[in-house]
Amino acid sequence: MKILGNSGKIVVLIIILSLIILMGYALFGNRDAVKTSPLIGKRAPDFTLRTFDGHELKLSDLEGKTVLLNFWASWCMPCRQEAGALENSWQRYKDKDVVFVGVNVWDDNSNAQRYLVQFGGAYPHALDPNEEIQVDYGVGGVPETFFIDSSGNVRDKFTGPLTEQIIDYFVLKAKQPQENES
Amino acid sequence: MNNHLIKMRILYLLFVVIALYGVQSLSLAQEEKSIDDQTKELSYLLMCPVCQGQSVGESNSNLAHDMRDIIRKQLEAGKSKDEVLAYFISSYGESILASPPPKGLNWLLWLLPGVGIILGGIGITLFLFKAQKEDKKEDSHKVDTQPKIDNKYMKRIEEELEDSDS
Repeated sequence: MKILGNSGKIVVLIIILSLIILMGYALFGNRDAVKTSPLIGKRAPDFTLRTFDGHELKLSDLEGKTVLLNFWASWCMPCRQEAGALENSWQRYKDKDVVFVGVNVWDDNSNAQRYLVQFGGAYPHALDPNEEIQVDYGVGGVPETFFIDSSGNVRDKFTGPLTEQIIDYFVLKAKQPQENES
Repeated sequence: MNNHLIKMRILYLLFVVIALYGVQSLSLAQEEKSIDDQTKELSYLLMCPVCQGQSVGESNSNLAHDMRDIIRKQLEAGKSKDEVLAYFISSYGESILASPPPKGLNWLLWLLPGVGIILGGIGITLFLFKAQKEDKKEDSHKVDTQPKIDNKYMKRIEEELEDSDS
């Protein structure tokens, strides 16, 4: 029994392939928002934290400076991996209008403090008290780092352990005026 | 006014007061429940960013727990469902939604399965229709040829029977 002629078979094949291609494009074709953060180019959500050494830190007070905002946890191995790079970079940038802020999430206060003693806590670190700041920033895991420019806008987000080269790249990019961005 | 009438009016008044109190308590209880329900409903509309294919409502991760708390707080603060969803979209992007919003290219995801089903249905119908037509053709062909074969054999059998009798 012959249901379709050769031309009919080609038409059916084209229709099926078109449907598969369209579905694939709709599912995977526009994934910019997944790769980066919807906060990029927008104002960084403000927060106030009490640092582990007892000082109050308000993000909006840091306007005029470039901010590296790093989310970490003591149980996170990649955070340990990047801790040295963060400390070294902080030493190089601390007098250049760059502020590093560490936000400890999903963690225990005593574990976090022990981690800072072991891996260094030269720049301000604080526990996210209500576990809300990480959701404001759309954090899906640790470590995640946001680079905020001197106007208070999020310029970049980096997921995973940082190296000194990566920090240099994003900090210098955040220090440049936004208009120059390609 | 007699005593009976006064008693009846007092009873009526009491009944109205109790009924109003009951209705108020019921509506308060429903309001509390509705925040629970709304939190649950919204938590199933959001995907857990650290889980594999689990919604915030299904996941036991710390982040999902935090997100459920935030949903509840925002609803209690008087935010609408759309405002709560918009907050999560502003932080995580549209990929946080369990189902893509029907706009732009996303329409394809909503429409193509339906189009596929319709086209598949048409294809199956055409197949069955043609198959049935072919079967009928074969049947009619059989009806035409069968009696002839039968007659021929019957004739021969009769002839041979007659020969054997004689």
